[in-house]
Order: sequence, then structure tokens, then C-alpha cells
Amino acid sequence: MSTTDTQLSRRDFIVRSMATGSGLALGIGFTTGTIPGARAATEAAEAFTPSIWFTMMPNGHTTVHIVKSEMGQHIGTALAQIVADELEVDWQHVTLDYPEGSAENFAVYGLAYTVNSGSVTTEFDRLSRSGAAGRIALVEAGAALLGTDVEDAVAANSRVTDSVSGRSIAYSEILSQTTIERRFAYPDDFRDIPRKDPADYKIIGQSMPAHDIPSKTNGSARYGIDVFIPNMAYGALVLPRARYGAKALSVDDTKAQSIPGYIQAVTVDDSFGKCTGWVVAIAETFPAAMNAAKALEVEWDAGPHGDVSLEGLLTEYRALQADPEMGAPWVDQGDVDGSLANADEVLEAEYTTDMVVHATMEPLNATVHQVGDTWHVHTGTQSTSFARMTLTAYLAHFLGKPAEEIKVVVHQRVLGGGFGGKQDYDEILAAAYCSHQVARPVKLIQTRETTFATSFPRTPTLHKLRGSIQGGAFTAMQHDIVCGYMGPRFSVGKAYGSDWLQLDADDGSGRDIDQWSIGGSDHWYTLANHRVRAINHDQTTWAVQASALRTVSNSYNYFVVESFLDEVAHRLGKDPLDLRLSMLTGEGGSRGIPNAGYEPGTGSDYYMDRLWISLPWPAENSWIPYESATVGGAKRLANVLRVAAGKAGYGKRMPKNHGMGLAVSAAEERQSPTWVAGVAEVSVDPESGEIDLQKLTIAMDMGIAINPVNAVAQIKGAALWGASQVLSERLTVRDGAFEQHNFDTYLPIRLSQVPEIDVEIVESGNHPSGVGEPSSTVVAPAVANAVFNAVGVRMRHMPITADAVKAAIQAT
Amino acid sequence: MVALTINGYSYLVDAPPDTPLLWIIREELRLAGTKYGCGIGLCGSCTVHVNGEAVRSCMVQAGDVEGTSITTIEGLHYADSHPVQQAWVEMQVPQCGYCQSGQIMQAAALIAANPAPSRDEIVEAMDGNLCRCATYSSIVGAVERAAEIAGSEA
Repeated sequence: MSTTDTQLSRRDFIVRSMATGSGLALGIGFTTGTIPGARAATEAAEAFTPSIWFTMMPNGHTTVHIVKSEMGQHIGTALAQIVADELEVDWQHVTLDYPEGSAENFAVYGLAYTVNSGSVTTEFDRLSRSGAAGRIALVEAGAALLGTDVEDAVAANSRVTDSVSGRSIAYSEILSQTTIERRFAYPDDFRDIPRKDPADYKIIGQSMPAHDIPSKTNGSARYGIDVFIPNMAYGALVLPRARYGAKALSVDDTKAQSIPGYIQAVTVDDSFGKCTGWVVAIAETFPAAMNAAKALEVEWDAGPHGDVSLEGLLTEYRALQADPEMGAPWVDQGDVDGSLANADEVLEAEYTTDMVVHATMEPLNATVHQVGDTWHVHTGTQSTSFARMTLTAYLAHFLGKPAEEIKVVVHQRVLGGGFGGKQDYDEILAAAYCSHQVARPVKLIQTRETTFATSFPRTPTLHKLRGSIQGGAFTAMQHDIVCGYMGPRFSVGKAYGSDWLQLDADDGSGRDIDQWSIGGSDHWYTLANHRVRAINHDQTTWAVQASALRTVSNSYNYFVVESFLDEVAHRLGKDPLDLRLSMLTGEGGSRGIPNAGYEPGTGSDYYMDRLWISLPWPAENSWIPYESATVGGAKRLANVLRVAAGKAGYGKRMPKNHGMGLAVSAAEERQSPTWVAGVAEVSVDPESGEIDLQKLTIAMDMGIAINPVNAVAQIKGAALWGASQVLSERLTVRDGAFEQHNFDTYLPIRLSQVPEIDVEIVESGNHPSGVGEPSSTVVAPAVANAVFNAVGVRMRHMPITADAVKAAIQAT
Repeated sequence: MVALTINGYSYLVDAPPDTPLLWIIREELRLAGTKYGCGIGLCGSCTVHVNGEAVRSCMVQAGDVEGTSITTIEGLHYADSHPVQQAWVEMQVPQCGYCQSGQIMQAAALIAANPAPSRDEIVEAMDGNLCRCATYSSIVGAVERAAEIAGSEA
């Protein structure tokens, strides 16, 4: 059978085997000419090379193709569970593969980008429908072979059974005995594909062992740093003091030349605005490269950010906040000014948060080599797509060639931690440039020290809160946020003609706001008068290279909002639990979006349009779930709060200097909330100010827990990430440079500091959402609120250090 | 030249004797399960056994361990089924997994020396091994489980 492109409708979801015994491929077929690479997509389906979401071999074995990054969340296993359950395939017959990042695969799979705790949220819909489509095609073919009615045929455990006669046929037999060509018009028929009742799930909701775990217990998992290419040389960095914007003026390698194995020093082309001032010592071994890096004598121009320090940034932040003309409204509801003007009392508070960094256990690295016209990249990245696009643009830039003539293939490796820290591509660019200079494959390994020095931290932030109290009620809230936007620094979208991280302000003025720096301030409480003013401090963006870190802005905005809400409750004389429940009514804008079939671009919700459709590629290449994770809205938040408070025994009598505090969050974004509540139990030593975090109780409603054991592990890990941030992690900048360079001064949580953690999963059965990050957001405010309840001091800076607590106690 | 015995094999490596053992294991011999994390002995990702004791291979010069018996994660058990490895799979401990070779080597040395460690002893022994995914809650239980498995196999 041969199918020409013109025989395909513009978009069909196709389940097809080309010939008897050739296996099954599934995917959306596109007509040619509308999107780049569309022809490759249809040809891929015909040729049975890896197709879109999964392929079945003629022996019935199913391979689910994972374009998400494995960075600790075991996402491949979860996504395969979603497919396998609807497909009714035996779990033992399911394996995974990870397509490489190439232009051809971009056309087939769309954007490969793992962020936002969004993989299950965005993929559940299409993967479950694809699995169901495969099952329907197999049942129809199986019924024909059995000579029975389709209505009587049932699929289970890789077999189709005639429920009348009891005769059955295996998927492998169907695929070897007949051909299949089943089309579902896309999107309408695809949307109407019948899927299972959650009560009938057999694989979803089971704690299937993660596919990637055995390799992580015997040393065989291959991370980016574990790549070996024949004839490769090693690179070690020599860095200027300033984090960003320096320029190398001269390099003297006289001393390095006596180091055995030293090859040469390369000054990286940084005119692209990446890797500024980087010099790389190239050698035959990594120890030799590190020694050579120490021996190189480099002179730099410090550039425009060489004198940036944290104190100076905060001074400028305060000046920006004091100017009412600065910034733009992200949320602007009701009459905040009127309410504040008529208030009986205006509660004011300033909050600040420090920088923190990802500090992934795997230091940053990349290996690049050129074979013919193709540049091969080996690394672990959160986006093979952006890595490829960024390197393509960089190569075009320094080679002086059109981008169309450059082919880049990114070979994805396991990531030794991500947390938002593996979506900048500086190592890849530098390794490619060095590889070009020495005409050999180059493996660039950042030491822990240079990993810190070149890191992309969470921006420092300043918040000014004003709450209006009138007639014994909380009536308005103004939240000004000053920080460095991360959006303007991400140049990839701009290269594709879109400011995809820049969204319009809420006042119709056309002014830009960076959702990723502001999200979380748009909380789910019912409050008639609410304004969030977002103010960008541009130099921060560039000087510290502000970026996304696990939940991005939610990590500081929930700390601020949830702490301030406790301040309001105490001022009103109400219990913080009661105040929250009275405001989590799920009314108006906090009702969530019903599962009515969201259509992008229709403006059906205040927030929904802002993110997904602003992506810089064709809509066919993205996916908008038909269902919403927001259904139910703030009522689900009230529910988890009640659960967590109950489990923790909130309200019980506490010993002196002990306290409990609570907080809720709906991270990660307004469009993709996972509903979380947390209760922290602390004791505080009033003499030293030391906080002993004794217990965390977390309740989370993620709709459906695809893999409960893993979900609990993710929730606990993220909660401890939150604990680490609020109690000990702090990155500072002085004279343009970060002051912490290793785990002697930057202090992530260790085993001996781990509190008891009690996790309750609340399965509401709604569209599933992510579990990898959200619980981290409730811990900081819950701890701050617990500290207040323990010793009566309100801590308005994160991290909360013992010295600060001690000083606050002494000041009372 | 450095002469090393690793996982029962003898290697003659062309490297200066002051080279950190870590880099010889990883990049020269390509036993890449041993990970580089911090280079100053504060994270434990590079933990290997030298004569059965857990050491940070980033802090050991290769020349100083000539004549010893070195074990890496690849040589911990002939079928990757050491009680600690079994417990780690059973309890689904690893997330990103990068630190886990070091965690497993640390735990294996602990239960070899102390077949039934208390919780406090586990915490004390494992506190030098950082895990950025914070799999800590699973680790304590998994060490206890490994001790149980080791006891039943003995």
C-alpha cells in the first residue's frame, strides 16, 4: 500500500500498519507545506520509524517515545503508564525510548521542553486519547479476525476477547495477521474518543517500578558528564570575576605550556551575548585542563555589571517601588485605591527574598563534535529543542553561514538534576566553539566552582504589601513586586519572532509583563479588590542572569502572600485557618475552568490565553488539553487545607516556643495548578534564634496520581527543597560576582536536618497535574507562620536565618 | 604511571601520581558510575571503597592507593544485586540518581561494618552524602531494609 501526502486530510489522527506483520504506528498526519517538516511526519508514519507517541512491534511490544527529560521525576514511566492503560497492553510489554533533538523530530513530536511540572498536565490528554485510539483500532481488527461484532469484543492484557464465545486473539497475532488503517478526524473525532472511567484504571494509579531506577543503582545510567567520544579533548573554564558582560582582552599561556597534555587556550566567541569573557583551557585530560586553567593569565574588561552588589540592587528596587509610574499591573481587580483610602487601617509590610541556585549534583557539562555538516551535542538538557535552536543560531553567527545550512542533533542524556537549571545552553555553545577551534570533539566540564560562578539563579526580590482593613474585614490588597525579569534574557523566542515569555499587562496598555517572574501573586483567594504591580529591574536580569528555579516565581510569591495573609489574620484577631477558608470560596475568577472543552484563542478565561498560545511555533505543534486542571478552583484548595490541618493536629496546644504554621499554594501556574496545603511544626530557641523544623504535613490534590509511590517521593523531595530554601540556602552577589562557590558556603539540606514528613494525596479524579515542584512552595510560608506562632516575631526575609530570628526577638 | 587494583582488575594508568583517584576512575578507566560532585569531599558523589572503607575519591591521590583494593559501584556485586542495591530498587530510592552511586557505596560500607545500624547511626554515616533531590526520607528506610536483606542472606 502506498499513500501519497495528498490523500491525507489536513489533520488526521492515524493508527496504521503498513503491511501484515509490520507493527503499528500512531500519530497525527499533516498535509505538506503548512509546517516545516510535515512531510517527514507523514513519511515517518509510513516508514514506521519512531512515530509520534508510541509504536507497536508486530510481536505486540510497545515503545512509548518520550521527549521529556529524565531529571529525577521518572516521567517516562508515568507517561508510558498513561498510554498502556488505555491501550490495554500488558505493562511487561512496554518499553521507552528517547528521540534525539533534531529538526526532523521537532516536526514530528513538537517542542521538547521539560519545565513547569507540566509534563503530565499537558501530555495526559493526548497520550490517553492516543492509547484509546490504538485500542479501538486493535479491537476492530481483532473482532474481524474473530468473526464477531465489535460491540462484543473487549481488550485487556494485550488480547482482544469475544465476550460472547470467550475466544480471544493476542495483539501480536492481530498485528501479524492483518493490516490496520484507522483514521480519526482531528481534532473533532479525536476529542470524542471514548476513554476509560478512572475506576477501571489498571496501570494508572499503580506504583509501577520506574524504568530508569535500576540503571541508577549500578552505575550504568549515562549522564551528560559520562559521554566519551573517540579522540575527544577536555575543556576547563577560566572565568572573569563579573557574572555577566566581561570581555577577555588577552590570554597568556606561557605557564600552561609546561603542563603535560595542555593543547591550547580558546577565547570563546561571546559576541552572541552568551559565555561572556569565557576562556577555555583545552587539554588531553580533565585534570590537565583544570591545571592549565589555573595557569592561564587572562586580562578582562569587567564590563557594565562589574560593580553590582546585592545591597545596591535593593536600594534601586526600593526607588522603583516608590515611583507609582513604574511597572504595570498583572492583576487589577476592583477598586484597590478606593478601598485603601477608606480603610480603618492599612497594614503595610516589606518582604525580600535572596537569590538561590539549582546546584544540581551533576555539574554543568556538554560534549560537542562535528561529523561532516552535522554538529552532535551530548548533554542532559531540559530542552533538546531550545538547545538545538540556540546552538544553530550561534553557529550561524560565528561561522557566518545561513542557519538553514547548519544541522544540529542533540543527543539527550539522563540529567543529574534539573530544577530549571538546565535550560541555558552556554556549555554547549562554548564546547562547540572549542571543538571548531581545535578540530576535535570537546568535552567541557564545569567544576563545581565554575558551575556556581556561571549559574542562573532566582532573582532577588522586593515586595511591598498593603492590606486594607475595614469594618473588621480584609477588603483590599496591593502587592508591588520588584525583581529581575527572566523573560528578556531568553533570546530563543525572539529568534523565532516572538516574545513568548512576555505577556500583556492587565490594563490593556500593551506593556510587557513576565509571567514567570510574577506568577503565584495571582492567588486564588476571593478578594474583590486586588492589584499586583510588577516592576522589572533590568540590570538584575542581566547582571545575575536571572532564571527559573523550581516553581520559578511561585517560590517567593507564595512565601510573601501566605505570610502576609497570616499578618492580616492576626490583625483581625482571626485564626489564619479560618480566614483562609473564608476566602477560598471558589467564586468569580477563582472558580476554575469547567471541562467544557477549552479552545485556544477564545479568551474563555482571564488567564488561559496568556501562556500556551504565545509559543513561537505553529499551534499544530503544541497541544492544548481539552480538559482543565483548574476545574473546581479554590474549593479544591480549601479541601486540601482542611485535610492538612486535620492531619497535622492544627490548633492543638503547643509547648512554649513551639508553633505550627500553615500555607496553601496552587503552583505552578494559574493554568496548571496543583492544589497544595502544608503545615510546618517548629520549635525556636529564643536565645540563638535557631529554628528546629520538626514536622511537615503536606496534602496535595493533583487530580489523579499516576504513580502514587513516585508522587509521594516527589512531594517529599520538593517539600525538603522548600525547607532548604527557607532555612539555609542563600546566594549573594558582590562586585558582579557570586560569593558562594561550593558546598562549604552554599548549604543545601542534609540528611540530619530532615524533619518528619507526612504526605496525604487527595485524589479528586480531575485532570491530573504535576507533582515535581508544587509542594516546595508551601514550606517557606508555613515555616515563617510557625515561627511567628512560636515566638511572636514576623520574619519577612527569605531565608530565615537564626541570626535574623534572634535579632527580631531581641527587638521586641 | 600509577598501578591500581579496581574491582579485582589490575590497571597501569599513565597519569601523574598526584592525580585525584576520581578522575582516573571516571575519565581514564571510564568507570563512569563514580560521579564528580564538588571536588572538596563535601558531597559524597565520588564515594568508593578502599580496602572496604568508604572514601571520597576526589580527595585521594592515585599514588597513595597503590597496593590497595579499590571497589567502585560497578564492582560492588557481580550481578548488581548487593543488599543495598536490592533495597534501593525495592524502595525506589533514586530520583535523578546522580548522587546514588555514592550513597550506595557509603551505605554498603556502613552495613559491612555495622550489620544492624540504628537510625541515628544511619544518619551519622550518611550525613556527608548530599542529595539535591532530597531522597533522604527514602534513604534511611532503604539502609534499614538493606541491613535486613544482608542479615537474611548471611
